[in-house]
Order: sequence, then structure tokens, then C-alpha cells
Amino acid sequence: MLRIEHYSKTYPGGKKAVDDLTLHVRPGEIYGFIGHNGAGKTTTLRACAGVMDFTEGTITIDGHDVKKDPVGAKRVTAFLPDNPDLYEFMKGIDYLNFIADLYDIPADQRTADIKKYADAFELTGNLGSPIGSFSHGMRQKLALISAFIRRPRLLILDEPFVGLDPSASHIMKGYLADLCRGGSAVFFSTHVLEVAEKLCHQIAIIKDGRLVKCGPTEALVGDSSLEDVFLELEGDK
Amino acid sequence: MKKFFALLKVSVKSMLLSSTNARGNSRKKAATGVGAMLLIAFLGLYLSGFYSFMLMEVLSPVHMEVLVFIFMGMGALVGGLMFTTFAVKGVVFGGKDNDLLLSMPVSSTMLMISRVSAIYLENLLFSFFVLAPAGAVCAFMTQSGVGRSLLFWVRLIIAVFALPLLDTALSVLFGALVAFLSAKVSKGALGQNIVMALYLAAVFYFAFNLNGMIEGLAANAMGVKESLSWAAPMLWMADGIMGDWGKLLAFAACCVIPFALVVFGLGRVYRQAVTAFAARSARNDYKLSAQAASGQKKALLAKEAKRFFGTPMYFWNAGIGLIMLLGAGVAALVMQGKLDAVIAMMGGALPVMPMAALVMGFCLCTCVIAAPSISLEGKYLWILREAPVGEKPLLWIKTGFELLLSVPCTVASGVCLTIALRLSIGEGAVLLLAMLLFCVIHAAFGVLMGLTFPKLDAVNETVVVKQSLAVTLGMFVPMAALGVCALLYWLGGMISPAAALALPLALLAALTAACVLILAKKGPAMLRAL
Repeated sequence: MLRIEHYSKTYPGGKKAVDDLTLHVRPGEIYGFIGHNGAGKTTTLRACAGVMDFTEGTITIDGHDVKKDPVGAKRVTAFLPDNPDLYEFMKGIDYLNFIADLYDIPADQRTADIKKYADAFELTGNLGSPIGSFSHGMRQKLALISAFIRRPRLLILDEPFVGLDPSASHIMKGYLADLCRGGSAVFFSTHVLEVAEKLCHQIAIIKDGRLVKCGPTEALVGDSSLEDVFLELEGDK
Repeated sequence: MKKFFALLKVSVKSMLLSSTNARGNSRKKAATGVGAMLLIAFLGLYLSGFYSFMLMEVLSPVHMEVLVFIFMGMGALVGGLMFTTFAVKGVVFGGKDNDLLLSMPVSSTMLMISRVSAIYLENLLFSFFVLAPAGAVCAFMTQSGVGRSLLFWVRLIIAVFALPLLDTALSVLFGALVAFLSAKVSKGALGQNIVMALYLAAVFYFAFNLNGMIEGLAANAMGVKESLSWAAPMLWMADGIMGDWGKLLAFAACCVIPFALVVFGLGRVYRQAVTAFAARSARNDYKLSAQAASGQKKALLAKEAKRFFGTPMYFWNAGIGLIMLLGAGVAALVMQGKLDAVIAMMGGALPVMPMAALVMGFCLCTCVIAAPSISLEGKYLWILREAPVGEKPLLWIKTGFELLLSVPCTVASGVCLTIALRLSIGEGAVLLLAMLLFCVIHAAFGVLMGLTFPKLDAVNETVVVKQSLAVTLGMFVPMAALGVCALLYWLGGMISPAAALALPLALLAALTAACVLILAKKGPAMLRAL
């Protein structure tokens, strides 16, 4: 579903944020991407989502090259940044319709999906209010709903658990699993290692822009815990 | 005081240095910032100098120079108010750094005073650029020689520093009203638009009346002055500048006292006011019904429209040109008799159609909708970047949205002016063609400026719409193009009447092609690089 081949990103000034990263996410997989602050997680996720330009390597999503066919790649992807800023001059429902229009989602499908996800996240009653009046958690939920209604082949999430209450986190995890059962894939970054260990089929650990370890969660963790593995690889233990 | 100046520096930077390109190096930032300031200063000095000269020419022979300072003082007051009212909403009450700064170990009163002081400094610039040229004109043109004394300049400087205090006090009050409407009224944008419409109607009514007064100035200058008794502080200021120290003190008191009252009053409730204006709770009574679908382009256009009409500060700053454009057309039709008289008085010397084109072009120049639209995406840019829409369509949507508003207004105004000025069908067609080309130039150039000088990290919309370099250039470069057109018309007139029309039209066509081509070829890469 997602193929990252020899991807590198160098910022102006020469700082290499990511160095020769190769990583594959297969359909039906939840792939966790972990690393310390500034390791290059967000840079990689943004490049995959087509939000950030890059010069070295190739990234393909469901066969679409992010550089050569960005619109095709974006059509099958949904991306959620760590702090989703949404148009404050729009009402919640207007934003969902705006996104649905950009993805050409038919009227009956969007109505059904908005109802399904907004009811689940207990946001339906708030959809008539301007986003400017939403709390951080409500914005996060709205952004998640806008991602789910696209029925993406690949869902890219940057720190999705930040700002969500435990109930919303639980609901989100259920929908992520549903999405993967339908043949889609999820690629997300997190600092919550317990969640990554329980939720992910595959995990990649990145340090200073270089991939230090990746593989199936069970194989990676073994008899230890993800926290132990992570700290050992990071050199903190 | 160290803390106060640190806070003041932050507020001033967010207001004045917002015109710089956030992505440039410090030298480029400073250069673009200074360039924008110089441009504004030049225009302020030029306009004030020009009108002061015109007024002084009429009033100096009848020893009524004082009226120049009354009119210029009023101009500075009203202009400053228009300039800073929405800035107050953004800088004093709606700063995005409110949470950060209110959590710092400084009193909320000090924070408020630092922000109000930043507004004062902006008004001070305005006051200086309006009153200083009037003083210079007075120094050269008064019969009594009053303008050439050192004390005259001391009094003028006192007035320059005092007037912005009154301006600031009024703009803080208006700004608080605007912030209140935004936060507390469910249709906040509509409420603000109504307040702004009433305010502008009052300004236009005042401007028309002022025009009438100026017409009869030479004959009845004293009567005009007496009729302005309702604006006593301005009279005191003018009399004070001309030599009456008592009245100058009375004027200074009229400025200092309201300012002190506003600062004192607001200082007591600042934290509560900021909290109240920021607290907007989401309603919980929405019932989801069947949703309708529309296409990508329609959705993107609707988004631009929602931002434009739903952000009063954007609407009134960028849309005023369209209102003026339509107003000029309708006024020309309604006052056709007066217009005929003016044209007859000129004895046919006035090139009516080119003059109409210049007026329309000037109005269109002030309609800067496309130029700030890139910077207004700011923190929301990720939404468009991750959407399955190419960069090219995004840029054409932004260009097209301005055209969607400017083209109908241009056509309506052009038709009205063609009828009112009794232009032939051919002349009307040339007028419309020229102005439609100009619409395209203005919109495409605006987007290009937005891409070249983005301000994606602006603390609020005010600094993007009112002070960004993209907006300044998007407004004044097309004005300069209009000036070149006028020059070409004059040069062409030396060859033949056809050449006089053909040369400006050829320039406009060439500029249209250049802007559209550059936007199509370079625009997508520029947007990608942001």
C-alpha cells in the first residue's frame, strides 16, 4: 500500500532530517512509527501525505507515485497532522462537506458516514457551530471524522492520540481496525508505546533520521516490552 | 519598564513588521519592511501635501490657513480610525499569544497598555504623515509667515503627538465593540458588517458634506469654520497650531483625558474582556439531515467566499473598492446633470473616457482580494496540500474568486458610466475591455504577490489583509500600471486618437498575458515551495 524507497529529506542549511529510509506498509496493516522528538517521523509522514516536498527517493501509495501523480496518491490517502488546524470561519458540518466535496463523495454516502462517525465521537450536536468555538479535542475528533468519511486506502496519522479523551481513543482504535479489515492500511506516529505495542502489526523505530529497526511487533518486542526495545535502541538504557 | 518595552516590541513587531517576508533572511526582511514603510510614507506625504497645497492656495489669501489644519486633522482622525479599529480587535483583544502572555509574570494592565501603545504608534505614524506636510505647506505659503517660526513647529509637534491619543481611545472602543460582536452574537460577521456599513456610510456622508464646504471655502471660509463647531477639538487643534496656546492645551486635554479614561477603564477589566471575547462555546443542538454534494471547484470557491464574507475585516478592507466602483457608476447616473455641467465647464478639454477608466481602475486597485488569499491560508495550508487537487487549479480558484466579484461590478459600473457620460458604444466597449483586462491583471498579479511574499505565520488576519507586503504591492503596482497607461494615452495622442487608445490597450493586453503566463508556469512550483 505504502512503499517508501530510499527517501531522504535535507532541510535548507544542510540538516538531514531523514536519511535513506526504506519502508513498506502492506494492505490491512497498522504500522507504527516511533522515535524521539526530532527523529524525522513528522517529516516522513508529511512527505508521504504530499504535504511536504522532497528530493531524494520515491514514495508510492497504492501504486501512485507521490511526486509524479500527487493528485492520484492524495485521492486514496487521508492525513491528520499532530495539531490539525481547521478553518475557524466554517461550521463543523461545512468543513466535513468541504472535504467530502474535494474527494467527490456522493451525497448519500457522506450523510451516512458523517452520521456514523459523528455519532460515535459524540460530535453530531456540535456540527452546526463554528469550528472557532470548538475545543482542541473536538477539533481532533472533527479532523478524524473528516479522515474516516473519505474511506481512505491509506490513513496517515501524526500523534493521533494527543488531545483525545480515553473514550474517543478507544473508538478511534476500533475504526482503525475496521479500516484495516477492509483492506486499507494505517501508518501512524506515536509516543504512546503501550498503544503502539497493542495496536500495531508492524513497528518501525527511527533515530536521527535513520531507520534503526523495523518488523512485526511480536518479533521486534520478543519477550521484552516495546519500551525496553525502544530505550535500548535509543541508547537510553 | 523593561518588561513593558519587551511587550511593546512584540506588539509593534507583530503589527509593523508583518509586511516582511517571513521566509526571507534578516536583511531581506528588513529591506522589504523598510520598502513597504517608505511606500506608505511617500503616499501619505504625497496625498496630504497635495490636498494641503490645494486648500492653502484658496485659503491663504483670505488668511484662513487654520481650516487646512482642521480638515487635515479630521482626515488623520478618520483615516486612523479606519486603519486601526480592526487592528485593535486583533492586536489588543484577539492576539493569538493571549494565553502565553497572560500567563507571564506581568500584570494584565501592563500587557494591555503595551498593546494599546502599539496602536498609538501606528496612529502616530498616520498623524505625522498627514499633519507634517500640512505644516510644511503652511511654512511656505502663509501670508503672515506664521509657519516659519520655531514655535509653530513646536505646537505642530504637540498636535501630532496628541491627536493619535484621541484616535487610539476611539479605535479601542470601536475595536472592543467589534470584538464583542464577533464573540457574542451568533451572526457575528453579519453584525460587524452592519456596524462597518453604518460607519462607512457616516464617513461618506461626512466626506460629501466636506466636499460641499470646500467648494464654497474661498467665498465663505469663516462661515465654514463656524459650521464646524461640532468638531470643537479639531478647531482648537488648528487654532492652537496657528498660535493659540490656550486652545492647544484644551485640545491636548481633549485627547489625553479620553485616552487615560479608556486605558484606566480597560486596565481594570482587561483580563475579563479578553476572556469574554475569546470564550465561544459550541452549541449542542445540531440535527444532521441529508447533505448535498457539489464539485471540487464549487467547494473551493465556496470556501473562499465564506472566508471573504465571513471575515468582516477582510471584506471591508478588500471589498471597499468594489463598493466604490459600483457607487461611482450609480452616482454618475444619479448626478448626471452635475456631471454634464462639469464636463461642459471643461469645454471638451477633459478626456472623459480615459478619466472614467482611471477612476474605475483606481477603485479596482483597492479591491485586493486575491493578494492576501495565499497568506490567509497560513496554518490551514496543510488542508489544501493534502487534498487531491493540483496546485494550478488552487491558484486559478483564488484568481477566479476575485474575478467573480470584480468582473460583474466592473461591467455594471462601466455600463452606468457609459450611459452617464454619454459615451459612444465604441468608447463604452473600449472602456469595458480595458477594465476587464485590468481586472485579470489585478487578480493574477495579486496571487503572484501572495506567492512571492507569503506571510503564513501571521498572528492574525488583520496583519495579512492590512499590512502585508503582498497586499501593498498588489494594490500599488497596478496603480503604477494605470499611471503608465495614462502616460501612453498622452503620448499616443500626439500621434493620433486611435494610437492614444491602442497604446494603453496594448500594454494592458501584454500585462494580462504576462501575469497569466507567469502564474500558470511558475505559480504551482511557488505554491509547492511554501
